[in-house]
Amino acid sequence: MKSRYEVAKNVFIDSIDIDDYIDLDSSVTAYQQLQHSMNKPLKMILLFGRPGTGKSILLNRIQEKLKHQKEIHYFDTPAINEKEFFHKLFKVLTKKDLPSNTEVNFAALVDFCKKLRGKREIIILLDEAQMYGTEMMEKIRLLSDSRAVKFVVSLHKTDDEDLIAKEHFQSRIWEVIELKNATKEDQTAYIHKKLLKKNLFEIANSIKEKNMQRIHRYTKGNYRECNKLLFTIFEICEYYDKNEPSKVNYAKISDRIIEMAALKLGYIHV
Amino acid sequence: MYDIKQLEDEWKRYRKKKLKPWYIGTGIVVVLTLFIIFFQTNLKINFNTLKTYFKTSKEIIPSDKNEKSEDTVVLNKMKVKETVLLDDALEELEVKDHMIELADKLVKESDNILVDIPILDDTNEHPVDEEIVARKKIHLEIIDSTSVSGYKDVEKRFFESHDIDDALFLAKSYYKNGNYKKAEYWALEANKLDDNKEESLLIFVKSKVKLGHKNEALSILMSYVKQSDSQEAKKLLYQIENNKL
Repeated sequence: MKSRYEVAKNVFIDSIDIDDYIDLDSSVTAYQQLQHSMNKPLKMILLFGRPGTGKSILLNRIQEKLKHQKEIHYFDTPAINEKEFFHKLFKVLTKKDLPSNTEVNFAALVDFCKKLRGKREIIILLDEAQMYGTEMMEKIRLLSDSRAVKFVVSLHKTDDEDLIAKEHFQSRIWEVIELKNATKEDQTAYIHKKLLKKNLFEIANSIKEKNMQRIHRYTKGNYRECNKLLFTIFEICEYYDKNEPSKVNYAKISDRIIEMAALKLGYIHV
Repeated sequence: MYDIKQLEDEWKRYRKKKLKPWYIGTGIVVVLTLFIIFFQTNLKINFNTLKTYFKTSKEIIPSDKNEKSEDTVVLNKMKVKETVLLDDALEELEVKDHMIELADKLVKESDNILVDIPILDDTNEHPVDEEIVARKKIHLEIIDSTSVSGYKDVEKRFFESHDIDDALFLAKSYYKNGNYKKAEYWALEANKLDDNKEESLLIFVKSKVKLGHKNEALSILMSYVKQSDSQEAKKLLYQIENNKL
């Protein structure tokens, strides 16, 4: 027999699935802000925040929503090298595959973009942009100068990445959107909504206010960490449910299980 | 699934570590509480001791004041000489006791001859012994009384028992101490109880002389000498007439 906790556990698998997107006050605000910025005549938009604050899912969400209205493309993982990146970009711009054994001439690509100005407006969503090298970022900047291609650059918020932003985009980025960790209320709503989306009403109710405070304390409101912790909590619950049911309180998730999960994930230490 | 048992053990260790400061804190609070309670209890004991000390002091101080108010000079002298005085008095009183005992025995013996009931001898002898013991007890009490309040106790006791020994003791003590007015008073009290007691009369006369009533004293003494032909009385008469008292 399948444990109820198995379903709950799977709700929190950390993946960028647009169907799992949860509308929260903070995420709705960020979404609207990004959409508004994209309508402005900007060359580049910087979306930054700490890992797990929902940058990738926001980019996915906006691409999914606007794909029928705008020419919008999402580059999820950074290209291994420059050649691969320009192959990808060539395909987006020309809507053709690059013939094999050929390379993109960057100067010709810039000229091509300049010719597109006023005719097409292409939006490129670059996720994990901190992984692009300095030279590559400079070429991206030159492409954005053509005004035919608009880049939304998503960066992790670290000191180094701030430096990248300063060096390469300072003069061109006209809009900066920062994503922050969730507040306790937002995180509570996030967990409840996720569970209710899968009709796990009883389990959602078994996570009490104090449990939420503890979860928020451990994860600091980070969505990715929250997913990891909830996944582990329900994994432990699933084990007890199947093997030692006396150790599970179905009405309330015990602090003990939350602490065990936190120990497992290294949020707390012996 | 990972090893849940290992995770449980880890959690137990974590819990122990987490609660450690609480246990230490609780321990410190308990120790401090016990220390405070112990400290306060000790303070109470000391306080009570002090209270008792002050109470005792208060009791002593007023009695001294009373004594001083009555006759400061006399009491000062008495404080110095009281031990000696009591010893002297005891010697004399003990002598008296022997005399009383002998007299009592003689009286009893004469009674026995007259009644001639041997059984009554035994029954009569025991109360006499008890009486003697009782009197001796009284004397012991006087000896034990080393403070000025001892005289007060004897006076108080006299008013209850009307014991001639107590009156004589006080008369002699006050005379030796120079309190002639009181000596005169207690000599008169002793004489009231037994007007044949030469000792009381002699102290009375000597006190009169000391108080400046020499003529009155001589008149009383001369009439006594005529009546009793006492050698002690004659000796005193000679001393008074020649101002050698």
